[in-house]
Amino acid sequence: MFSLLSGCFEFLLRKEELKVLIIGLDRAGKTTLLERLKTLYTDVPGLEADKVLPTVGLNLAHFEALGAPLLCWDVGGAAGLRGIWSKYYGECHALVFCVDAADRGRLEEAKAALDRALGDRDLYGAPLLVLCNKHDCEGAATPAEVAEALGIGKLADAGRATSVQAITAKTGEGVKPAVQWLVEHIKKSQRPELIRRRMLGA
Amino acid sequence: MGLWFSRLLNLFGDKEARILVLGLDNAGKTTILYRLHVGEVVQTIPTIGFNVETVTYKNIKFQVWDLGGQTSIRPYWRCYYPNTQAIIYVVDSCDVDRLPTSREEFQAILEEEELKDSVILVYANKQDLPGALSDAQVAEGLGLTSIKNRDWSIFKTSAIKGEGLFEGLDWLSNTLKSKRR
Repeated sequence: MFSLLSGCFEFLLRKEELKVLIIGLDRAGKTTLLERLKTLYTDVPGLEADKVLPTVGLNLAHFEALGAPLLCWDVGGAAGLRGIWSKYYGECHALVFCVDAADRGRLEEAKAALDRALGDRDLYGAPLLVLCNKHDCEGAATPAEVAEALGIGKLADAGRATSVQAITAKTGEGVKPAVQWLVEHIKKSQRPELIRRRMLGA
Repeated sequence: MGLWFSRLLNLFGDKEARILVLGLDNAGKTTILYRLHVGEVVQTIPTIGFNVETVTYKNIKFQVWDLGGQTSIRPYWRCYYPNTQAIIYVVDSCDVDRLPTSREEFQAILEEEELKDSVILVYANKQDLPGALSDAQVAEGLGLTSIKNRDWSIFKTSAIKGEGLFEGLDWLSNTLKSKRR
């Protein structure tokens, strides 16, 4: 009986995990970013950038940042596997779209992938953070250039908080401000409420 | 002193991981096990019971258990579940008819309390045969995307040709290392 009560109590008091889905083309640096997050926010260091293999599935990271528990899903970005992204849309609180800023030739492909994702109703209202990775590379596109190429300014979705930031996942530069933006904007958004209601309805 | 010394050895030496290889009968589990263990294709007969071998790869000692996959002996899989760090689930990518059965068994494994912390590696096997489903199709067929709380990965493999198997183990050793340190 006591365990039942304490279980209920725990359930009521527990903080909800904020779920962040990281998508983007293959070789954009999603898994390197995830491993960097593990290194920065947990006791267990993540893998170094040169050890990271292409993901064919899902990697995840649990950690706490700014008093909020986070769960990050990093899904594989190879063309044949992008179909699995949408299975994670319904439950994520925010979307991170990772771009290889040094690879200008693939920005158009990235735009197509992002457009398809944002067209999905399951992502309604989820804050969008575009990360221009590999910022340290010479000739890398600036956040303004990436925003222009992806058509971020034209997104006719007033309900969605959006930001474009530069990071270098390999060194961790810019990662902490990105996490801060995510936590703040998830808390401000209607998304947690929306997901809760949808779960109850289902 | 002895304890201290063995700890020190442990730091540099091999780490052990217990892996179960599961899947329907005729998926190629035993062929995979021996391909990993001795590096060649051996003639196999349907497994009644289990085979177990140790495979050392990238400083991890994988203790690999290959359990028989026939309908009548699948209920005994659960006897081997405790202390398992990873599941290798093998699918015959050409056996489209039995993919739904494979999905049922797979989803039942995901529900197991004793396996809730183990990572999931799927081998979409028999890719050398014509008509094999792609990795994305097998992932869809198994319902892999219902997994939201643990790491998973899928690899196209051909146990006969020896393709894809070690790529899978690379992922496994990376994932197990980052969980353990």
